[in-house]
Amino acid sequence: MSTFFHDWYYLSIRSIKQIWRPLLALIPSLFIPIFFFVVNAASLSAFADVPGFPEGVSYRDFIAPIALFTAVFFSAGNPGIEMVLDISSGYFKKLMIMPINRLAIIFGRLTEVAVQAVFQGLIVLVLLLAVGVRIRTGIPGTFAIFGLLIVFAMGWSCVSMTFALRTQNARLVQSLFVIVFPFLYITTSQAPMHLLPPTFRVLATYNPITYIIEGVRALVLNDWGDPAIWKGYAVAIGMFVVLVAVALSSFKKVMK
Amino acid sequence: MASNIIQVRDLRKTYPTGTEAVKGVTFDVKEGEFFGFLGPNGAGKTTTINMLVDLVKRTSGEIEIDGLKLETDAREIYQRLGFAMQEVGLDETATAREMLQLHGRLYHMPPERIESQIQKLLKLVELEKVADRYTHTYSGGMRRRFDLALSLIHEPKILFLDEPTQGLDPHARKLIWGHLRELNKAGMTVFLTTHFMEEAEALCERLAIMDQGQIVTEGTVPELLQKHGAKNLEEVFLKTTGSTLGEDTVDPSGDPFIRSRH
Ligand SMILES: Nc1ncnc2c1ncn2[C@@H]1O[C@H](COP(=O)(O)OP(=O)(O)OP(=O)(O)O)[C@@H](O)[C@H]1O
Ligand SMILES: [Mg+2]
Repeated sequence: MSTFFHDWYYLSIRSIKQIWRPLLALIPSLFIPIFFFVVNAASLSAFADVPGFPEGVSYRDFIAPIALFTAVFFSAGNPGIEMVLDISSGYFKKLMIMPINRLAIIFGRLTEVAVQAVFQGLIVLVLLLAVGVRIRTGIPGTFAIFGLLIVFAMGWSCVSMTFALRTQNARLVQSLFVIVFPFLYITTSQAPMHLLPPTFRVLATYNPITYIIEGVRALVLNDWGDPAIWKGYAVAIGMFVVLVAVALSSFKKVMK
Repeated sequence: MASNIIQVRDLRKTYPTGTEAVKGVTFDVKEGEFFGFLGPNGAGKTTTINMLVDLVKRTSGEIEIDGLKLETDAREIYQRLGFAMQEVGLDETATAREMLQLHGRLYHMPPERIESQIQKLLKLVELEKVADRYTHTYSGGMRRRFDLALSLIHEPKILFLDEPTQGLDPHARKLIWGHLRELNKAGMTVFLTTHFMEEAEALCERLAIMDQGQIVTEGTVPELLQKHGAKNLEEVFLKTTGSTLGEDTVDPSGDPFIRSRH
């Protein structure tokens, strides 16, 4: 176990260095959440007057969690891409014949996700605060929001690593988030659950992203008593455990 | 008598494509020995060496390294071995020094020893001046030399080399040969694959010649010469594999890269 922490530490240093390499690549992952927030907040503001919409909540505040979610979500694609690059350069083989804990190889990448999530999340948070969005659970709630989003992003990034290990196809891994992005909209991201049409409501109920968004939303708009908070954490932690295990089991696919 | 540090029994590999790359090879390497695996392109040398370190999953057969089994003690085995592969795979986002430092750490070496090893190895492969450059700026020969240094960072007990001097100029080749001999004298077991007759003659105490997935003959150089009534290794090679490495004739029946068979 001590080997795990040792390896995790040194592999984290490597992966954190790699975040800043494609500095320009960070721009789209900030641009998209901010763009959607600004456009939706402006164009759909009248939605807040629809009967059944939460009382006293502006549409802007209602979708603020989505901007945070998306910014962090986009940080989760890099580990898979870095891993495919390691595999295609042949460097990955070197890691495989060192006395390294394999879970530490995954966790080294998760550190990168966490650091990037904090970095991108903070930029979006500052912007949201600047336009007047307020987080009702205060500073502890802000930490809880980041905690929830980071656990989710780390779990989700294991999907990209799993694809990297199993397909070793850079293009596929790169376009993974494009495939997944639409599913972000089959949730309560645009409207509260009870205002969704029935079929859509069923889909949203089975979409784990819904629970993450509802958890963040509860922390922004409500108080600590809202059960959506612990439900969000439960889903995020559950996904994390399952997806890490799946990624770990994919290592053997690299060997022919 | 030295004990066997590598023991291989009836090792086989059939790739998912159906290619039978290795068809049951059995051999031993003694502790401290400089052992050579010689064979033409496609003989199965890389497949064999990769199975020894579990980079290629074997279809069947037994492997024991330093008394340990890959199935149960992989990490222990990896701590003791270094491997410079046929395809040099470097972290292009790091400098040579950063890579050496990371690897030293991952082998759990104390920092002072990492630093002294880095100095020694960079000098050995004549890369001190470029150690702080990103590895993607290196030439092919520099990459290969650096890769060798990297595989030596933790002073492994067993060194696996898959065509370590491929693409090196004669100066660099002689330089590397000299160092490999010294490392071997100091006690390191070396397992080397090559298709350079000259390299095998210059370095290896004992050789196995592989052809089409099988070991066709095995022994020390004098033993091989005697056994096959040959003047030199080239002739042994010709007699056992039916092919030469001297000329580049295209095999009309198939893979143009497989040298001609007589
Ligand atoms: N990943 C793979 N999938 C399918 N077949 C493979 C694979 N790797 C190697 N082979 C086949 O296995 C055989 C042995 O290849 P191998 O690379 O072990 O030969 P080698 O002796 O190292 O040759 P060289 O001198 O060219 O490096 C060849 O016929 C090759 O085409
Ligand atoms: Mg080879």
